Amino acid sequence: MKIAVLSCLHGNMKALEAVLKDIDHYSCDQIYCLGDLVGYGPYPNEVVETIRNLNIPTVQGCWDEDIVEGLNACECSYPSLLAEKRGKLAHEWTNQQITPENCQYLAQLPHSLKVDNYCFVHGSPQSNHEYLLPEIDAFAALERVLSADADILFCGHTHIPYIRTLESGQLQVKVSQSTPENDQVLQFTTPLKRIINVGSVGEPRHGRPNATYAIYDTQTEQVTLREVSYDYQETCRAILEVGLPPIFAWRLAQGLEFAEKADDPTHVCER
Amino acid sequence: MITVIMGNISSGKTHLIKEKMSKATFPIIYWSPQTDLFPIDAIYLKSELPDLSILSNGEENKLRHLSNYKDIYIEVPWYLDIKSIDSFLKQLNCHRLALISKVEQKQDWEMWTDEIILNEEINGKNDLALPNSLDLQIYRAALTGEVLDFSSLETFWLELIHGAYGEVIRVKGIFTILDGQWIYGEFLSGEYPKDFYPLNFPLNLEGRPQQFSGLEIVGRNLDKQAIADTLGEFCLSDEAIFYYQQQVKQSLALEKEKV
Repeated sequence: MKIAVLSCLHGNMKALEAVLKDIDHYSCDQIYCLGDLVGYGPYPNEVVETIRNLNIPTVQGCWDEDIVEGLNACECSYPSLLAEKRGKLAHEWTNQQITPENCQYLAQLPHSLKVDNYCFVHGSPQSNHEYLLPEIDAFAALERVLSADADILFCGHTHIPYIRTLESGQLQVKVSQSTPENDQVLQFTTPLKRIINVGSVGEPRHGRPNATYAIYDTQTEQVTLREVSYDYQETCRAILEVGLPPIFAWRLAQGLEFAEKADDPTHVCER
Repeated sequence: MITVIMGNISSGKTHLIKEKMSKATFPIIYWSPQTDLFPIDAIYLKSELPDLSILSNGEENKLRHLSNYKDIYIEVPWYLDIKSIDSFLKQLNCHRLALISKVEQKQDWEMWTDEIILNEEINGKNDLALPNSLDLQIYRAALTGEVLDFSSLETFWLELIHGAYGEVIRVKGIFTILDGQWIYGEFLSGEYPKDFYPLNFPLNLEGRPQQFSGLEIVGRNLDKQAIADTLGEFCLSDEAIFYYQQQVKQSLALEKEKV
């Protein structure tokens, strides 16, 4: 069985159409979506309705959550004053555009999905605001996968696709007490685990404007990171036409994402 | 002795002057005509050489008397017509030096200079050479008194040098950032971007900074309104400046206690 996993669509309908066509070409049996259907892009309703109509199992992304609950993320969500002002502008615009039905759809999305030994999340099992970057400490990475009780953790949020294999091994955890004789030592073995970050359909950050997603073959365990070209200029034109800031179009065309990632990528927003 | 350095945009004039000054004995005087309102190069040199004396416009007549016992460097900005300053320079006993790139013709400078130096380090893109530079725009943003959010500045700088606000040939800027530091940034089209460089000035920890800061962009089809609007997005409010200054002061006090 081949599954396609996509994330971070950000209201970019042209990119989503191209990706769905590509998924169809590769005859995938099932599609999963890791959230952030809206935000920054010019087609929030069209993207939500497409995902709804196709009955694609979807988890809630940080942008979906913010649209539903209002902008109440802590300041960690924005790495700079400029990113914050641009983010708020995009939020306000999306908030005005989104229909009540689509907002309701975003509101009921789960934080994570568990299917067999696969877990699907937007950021991490802890928070949809947390960035699981490829360089994250191996212990922390393993802890995130273990906490999901899965062998493969599919995530997005960073907008840069990657595959990370955490080899099977032995872990020893020592909890120091006030007296050394009371120290607790736990040992356990872990099987091979994987983190598959599927990148971003609508707001890439890998230096090219192409949409990215992943195809996973459950029989062969092979992962294919797909990069799909599309007419991004059309999305850029739409960004300008709907009155979003021109810099959003420029960043999309550069494959730079609209905003930057937070300084402390593993910081978990506590609100 | 008076040395006059001239050359096209980004030919390396200020860096050559810095190099020469670092080997010279003080007192040293620097003057750059028509840069009073936007003295980026002068402030940069002053941070490198704190004892440097900088002449303002109107003080240039002092040069005739000072040249006997001080090293004096005159930097002629690229946009200044040399004819307009030639008669004044003829009154001085000075050595004229032009810095040129590989794509420039020596004969363009021979009538104005005593010495021509080929600067191999600069790429010398064809479109930087005169007379094409006549169509270049200069955009200047005065930022004196402003304190900038550094992360935002990095984002803006990346967008700027990659053409988000028009074609950029060269950028220079001096900025005060939220931890009180003064930093210098420069970029030349065709070269790898450099990191911001901290200037050797005391931290600004009391209110809004008084010393000059600003940004100068040379390019084509510059979207000046978008540049100004974006810069305005990350200038800190009085409250934010106060907050960060208190944070830095507390941090410095803690470090002092540890020592």
